[in-house]
Amino acid sequence: MPETASNAIEFVGVTKRYASSVAVEELDLAIPAGLITAFVGPSGCGKTTSLRMINRMVEPTEGSILIQGEDNRSRPAYELRRSMGYVMQQAGLMPHRSVADNIATVPRLQGASRADGRSRALELMDTVGLDRKLAKRYPAQLSGGQAQRVGVARALAADSPILLMDEPFSAVDPVVRTDLQQELVRLHEQLERTIVFVTHDIDEAVALGHRIAVFAEGGRIAQFGTPEEILRAPADDFVASFVGRDRGLRRLTFASGRELPLHPLADLADQAGRPWAPWELLVNDAGRPAGWRFRDREVTGGTLFAPGGSLREALDAVPLALRVGVAVDAEGRASGLLASDDVLAAAGRERRSRYGVAE
Amino acid sequence: MAGEVVNVLEQTWQWFADPASWEGAGGIWSRLLEHLGYSGLVLLIAAVIALPLGILVGHTRAGGNVVVGVAGALRSLPTLGLLTLFALWIGLGLTAPVMALVLLAIAPLLTGAYAGISTVDPVVVDAARAQGLTEWQILTRVELPVAVPVIFGGIRNATLQVVATVTIMAYIDLGGLGRFLIDGLAVRDYSRMVAAMILAAILALLLDAVLAAAQKLLSSPGLSKED
Repeated sequence: MPETASNAIEFVGVTKRYASSVAVEELDLAIPAGLITAFVGPSGCGKTTSLRMINRMVEPTEGSILIQGEDNRSRPAYELRRSMGYVMQQAGLMPHRSVADNIATVPRLQGASRADGRSRALELMDTVGLDRKLAKRYPAQLSGGQAQRVGVARALAADSPILLMDEPFSAVDPVVRTDLQQELVRLHEQLERTIVFVTHDIDEAVALGHRIAVFAEGGRIAQFGTPEEILRAPADDFVASFVGRDRGLRRLTFASGRELPLHPLADLADQAGRPWAPWELLVNDAGRPAGWRFRDREVTGGTLFAPGGSLREALDAVPLALRVGVAVDAEGRASGLLASDDVLAAAGRERRSRYGVAE
Repeated sequence: MAGEVVNVLEQTWQWFADPASWEGAGGIWSRLLEHLGYSGLVLLIAAVIALPLGILVGHTRAGGNVVVGVAGALRSLPTLGLLTLFALWIGLGLTAPVMALVLLAIAPLLTGAYAGISTVDPVVVDAARAQGLTEWQILTRVELPVAVPVIFGGIRNATLQVVATVTIMAYIDLGGLGRFLIDGLAVRDYSRMVAAMILAAILALLLDAVLAAAQKLLSSPGLSKED
């Protein structure tokens, strides 16, 4: 994990009070430059309010926020906002503008010509994995995942070192969400921006954040640290209950399943005395696993282990009753078997090597 | 009875067919022009008052209840009654009927502008603000373009009502198609009254078609593709 000395954003004694409630109280927080910092916590804990105070969509009641050392009130709010990307839960695209025009919003505000804005938009569509053919479409013609990618592209168009994201993937379906999360990690490696990311999902925070700020009721920060610190040593009962009991499992999200041995599919044919004896793997014409047959009943679905998957995904792919799981190749074809013994052993080794203890 | 109706329609047709009905100071063409002129004047004044007000209230979302209440109250006022009241108050002439008709037109224009702007998805407005658009840019580049169909709905509605109601101008001796109604009634020439109704209806439909075309021209194709 890259370490940097400088802070991109600093909250200094920030309080936000509404008429009858305190959303954020005495917040002091330094967000490191060039990393992804996740704000996580239950709803109503002030994480979104804190994010929106960075670009002054919400003005703090007390305290100040420094952006690269400079008070964020030292210039007009609209100028500050143009200098940082903002992605929200619903893409919030302008329905009357084409995809390309939506992406080019900030460059055009900053005086770029129509042609420059357009070519910038097309570049960014490549960056976020959108087909250039969509450039002339209107938002109503996009799927939720596509709209969200347009939202990300629009935020990147500001070309700013800071990107603010408010639950950017919580409104898309889980498959698309995983895609977009991976895309974000890739984008971050490529662009090295400072990203502040709000989520209520601790799994998402752990998967994406280099740093995690766990917010508790009343806008207090219960713990700030790396995901591993927070999972290994929760600062208090609130954090412990929020990160949950299966945090040992979550940690396996960090560990690659690359080293796991794959056994040949033919092993399934050896049924004598095996735990998978009554089960037969179904494979469709394309070679993709289609489910299992169990005493004349067909059971479709089941988690598959894809290349590049983590140990946690490997564990999910191995039903304990069968003691084997199915691995697929990049095209989704069944490529081999995972043995639960191998997966459990690898998980144990991972724990010992990482923390020097067996749990 | 049925025979009389056929008779009136036949006479109406004959009146339309007579070139003399169309020409001269009291002819169809000049009455149509007067009617158009009055309607245009009324709509222009009403638009100058109602559109900015509706847009402002829609943008700030403050005072929306007042707008809805005022528009409802205006709708319930009988225009002929207002005309009589204003005429008694400020005398005959153009001012009294124009005032009465402006009040009639304000309601649909005001509600159209207010509803158009205030129903723009707040998420879209929030996103625009977060990208760094100024309030003026949010209004002119996001809210107004998105609200075009609804605002035009109000304008078209007002136009239909005004074109139909401008006929009452003849009640206080002004021109327009209402002349044929009032004068026809005075001499029990029902065919001319029918003709006036037909002409007013055709004029209203033509104007609506022109406004519909303008609306289509000004609306982004992205708006009509929304589900």
